[in-house]
Amino acid sequence: MAFVNIQNLTYKYPLTKEPVLQNVNLQVKEGEFISIIGPNGAGKSTLCYALAGFVPHFFKGEFSGEVEVDGKKSGESTLDEWVLNVGLAFQNPFNQISGAKYTVFEELAFGLENIGVPRDEMKQRVEDAMSLTGISDLADRSPYSLSGGQQQRVALTSILVMRPKLLVLDEPTSQMDPIGTREVFGVVRKMAEEGMTVVMVEHKVEWIAHFADRVIALKDGQTLLEGTPSEVLTSDVLVENGFGVSRYTSVAREAKKQGLWKKEKLPVTLFEAMEGFK
Amino acid sequence: MHERLSFHIKRDSFLHRLNPLTKLVLTLALIIIAFTFPWYWAPHLILLVAIIPLSMLGKVLREFSVTALRLILPAAGFLFLMQAFFQPIGEDIIFKFYFLDVTTESMMFAFRNAMRVIVMISAFTLFLLSTHPSELMSDLTRRGLPGQFSYVIISTLQILPQIQAKAQTIISAQRSRGLDTESTFFKRAGSLIPLVGPLVFGSLVEVEERAIAIEARGFTSKHVKTSLHEIPDPAFDQGLRWVLFILIIVSIGLNIWLS
Repeated sequence: MAFVNIQNLTYKYPLTKEPVLQNVNLQVKEGEFISIIGPNGAGKSTLCYALAGFVPHFFKGEFSGEVEVDGKKSGESTLDEWVLNVGLAFQNPFNQISGAKYTVFEELAFGLENIGVPRDEMKQRVEDAMSLTGISDLADRSPYSLSGGQQQRVALTSILVMRPKLLVLDEPTSQMDPIGTREVFGVVRKMAEEGMTVVMVEHKVEWIAHFADRVIALKDGQTLLEGTPSEVLTSDVLVENGFGVSRYTSVAREAKKQGLWKKEKLPVTLFEAMEGFK
Repeated sequence: MHERLSFHIKRDSFLHRLNPLTKLVLTLALIIIAFTFPWYWAPHLILLVAIIPLSMLGKVLREFSVTALRLILPAAGFLFLMQAFFQPIGEDIIFKFYFLDVTTESMMFAFRNAMRVIVMISAFTLFLLSTHPSELMSDLTRRGLPGQFSYVIISTLQILPQIQAKAQTIISAQRSRGLDTESTFFKRAGSLIPLVGPLVFGSLVEVEERAIAIEARGFTSKHVKTSLHEIPDPAFDQGLRWVLFILIIVSIGLNIWLS
């Protein structure tokens, strides 16, 4: 039995005409790191909300099908219980700062205070999480005085510190520089190695190819492709459907037409491209 | 970056170390006594022997005086003038101003009322200078105040300056596209309309996202909340609160008894 099991999920927001998600099926194993790609309006964020329980508990609308995590169905649970197992961090870091706290350290403790973690354990968990994501030096700063990328790290850390079994991330590196992005992917990979299941929406396909176990391509609320990063990210189907692909894949695809790319498989990362063009 | 909406000044002093609830009770006691104690010089005495010494004890005399001069004196001065002129009491006329009489009685009356207002504002100023808002709120939450209530207070204090900053960004953005913000009053009023839309609707969207973000961190969890900071509440504080409580009762009691 899969750790995450989505069966025939169809969902329509109260004010939209068409369903945002149509008959989505998705299985994720425990400790697996899967990445979701797709153009704007594909339903990526809605899928994240469905995994995190906000669809259907926070956003009303027409919901059918099932979302099951760790043997429990979201429809049969309440949101405050659901969030103990499933952590969600999303794109805009500014709105993820609670506003109730004056320092980053307090901000990270906010969730632990809410779920009643004892003080000593709370401090230890906050410190561990900060050193994991490399923000220990920000502990005493005001969360509002940070840059977008730093705020995004704080938002990610504030969820990691809750130690969810399933981590749902909706473009968690959108405001980060390449170094920050790489570090975040590294941290997420490490969490997956330690047994946390991760579902991450991202555009940065080179990093996905490097770190994720599996990729789902979503379009118009339906699963278009599913497979290993190198299968999905080099597929011609992506180009035909207007997905963003890696520049190395594009170059090699052109090169293949000219007979310059000899290998069967197209590259996604710089390293693969270099190997192929040798 | 942006200034936050808080008077609090971090110092290590007796006043700062008091439990936040004790300070709140102290503030309310000073105000209630100033308003109810049936003796003319009570508010004046409270200012001189309680509030000013407390501000020295709290090592915030300088900040306190600056705030007092800027905030309290104009308000109290205005109140004094209004009441001195418009209070139709007393016979002993000091001077006339057209049809308005200023009498010794109305002067005395105005002086005391102005002093009461000074006590009220300065006691609260001192409270805000020496108490961190989040400390106060987490102490009150620990004592049973609903978490949602303290969240609303604290987040408003923090988010208002952010909204101000955003309004400034929108104004700059619109000005760079030629919006008129410097000519006649009516033109400027008209130019507010395209500013309000993005600000209000943007803020509403933000509220929804923020609700999701804090919900994802267990905000409505049914667990008993814990607190990162331990806020000490020693026997001294508890005793002091009882003493202040009795003083409030006595003052109100005397007021009722003697009236």
